[in-house]
Amino acid sequence: MGTDRYAYSSRLRRMNPAAKAILSLLALTLCLILGGIAPGVYTLIFMGCLTVLWGKIPFRVFLRFLLVPLTFLILGCLTIGIGLHPADTPVVAAIPVGGKLLGFTQGSILQMLSICSKSMGVVGAVYFLTLTTPMTDLTQGLTRLHIPGLLMELMELIYRFIFVLWETAGQIRTAQESRLGYRGFARSLRSLGMLASMVFLRAWKKADRVYCALESRGYTGTLKTLPEGYEKGNLCFLFAALVLAGQVFCYLWEVGIQ
Amino acid sequence: MKRWLKNAYFLLALGSILLPLRASAMHIGEGFLPAGWSIAWGVVCLPFLIYGLVGMKKRIAATPKVKILLAMCGAFAFVLSALKIPSVTGSCSHPTGVGLGAVLFGPGITSVLGFIVLVFQALLLAHGGITTLGANTFSMAVAGPVAAWLVFKGLKKLKVSTPICVFAAACLGDLLTYVVTSIQLGVVYGGFGKFLGVFALTQIPLAIAEGLLTVVIFNILEKYSPQELRELSVL
Repeated sequence: MGTDRYAYSSRLRRMNPAAKAILSLLALTLCLILGGIAPGVYTLIFMGCLTVLWGKIPFRVFLRFLLVPLTFLILGCLTIGIGLHPADTPVVAAIPVGGKLLGFTQGSILQMLSICSKSMGVVGAVYFLTLTTPMTDLTQGLTRLHIPGLLMELMELIYRFIFVLWETAGQIRTAQESRLGYRGFARSLRSLGMLASMVFLRAWKKADRVYCALESRGYTGTLKTLPEGYEKGNLCFLFAALVLAGQVFCYLWEVGIQ
Repeated sequence: MKRWLKNAYFLLALGSILLPLRASAMHIGEGFLPAGWSIAWGVVCLPFLIYGLVGMKKRIAATPKVKILLAMCGAFAFVLSALKIPSVTGSCSHPTGVGLGAVLFGPGITSVLGFIVLVFQALLLAHGGITTLGANTFSMAVAGPVAAWLVFKGLKKLKVSTPICVFAAACLGDLLTYVVTSIQLGVVYGGFGKFLGVFALTQIPLAIAEGLLTVVIFNILEKYSPQELRELSVL
């Protein structure tokens, strides 16, 4: 599902998740703090190249994932950028609304571009991690960070159960659709309600059975698993240094030319 | 006349851009908030999460099975939020599950489960984000559920019939989520009213649809599994 499907087939799958996480989080943090157009674009391109060339994720897949956050980004940026200005403001594109101008000024367009590129840079940095590291590796890594054990255990269990329920929901949906269950608003609402409540009931029953199975195998309250062995990820730190240096350079360059 | 036409075209173009965007408009996107605000919203959420976790721990200590049940409920919340919900205007969006979670599990548990669901959505589906996790948790897993729960309990006290209680809770919880999201964006970028306007325009029909959906779900659950619902109020 989602990024996980590709993470399992990535070349970096066996690499130490901590190293990958450090690279991704450093790039993300600096990109967010510096802001600006150049650092954002640089982060996106650099992390994208790492994901595609080093992690062996198909370029097409990476592009498709980049489109996902775009919807919110466009909506949010337009809302920020469009403003009501007095009639004599120098605007780039605007329509007159009752003696005032509704549209973009040069400043607001710059602001929109800056937010967009910063956001996409952060997205690129996160995608490097999620497209090369399966969720189970991440949760196991997080357990070592002294995050409450109950939270991590719930995360691991939920992650497993998602796929079980996902399949159930998909089957019910297919059955309903093949019986024209989603024709018209009222009927689709009814069908969806039935689907959701049936999935809930099945989840409830399944939890019962899972618990019985666990208990009969000596469950005492916690599920413990052994961590896997990983390849060393020293190269990650080199790339981290490179991306950080590049971000700072881009930032200084952008500030310098303004 | 010509100017009027131009305006009409502009609005039409704007509308056609905005309409398909509502699908994932409820999560604040990755990297959209400055670093300071990202951390601040995370800190605001912490007490709620700790409160929820402590409550869970007590219940699990009493009956160990609750842990598996809670995990199943969390997975259910994730699957529910990934379903497409029909909207009155014909386009689709996803339910937030804010109202249903609050009514079934109470606000404390909902905040923890909601947080985990948001983490998975950010990592697996790229809805929302790691940097905006705190802000999204506050709007969707804390503020919305708390409001929905208060509305549900309040109306119940006033002896309003259950379907109306559920509808009002889900609908208002949904709306408050968007109001909080608009505030979060407005505080940073100014123009709180602008965000509220855009969200209100696109989200009010969705909130009504989600309210109706929650009533349908709740009715079926009440009919076929009063046993489980009774267990839940103990849970």
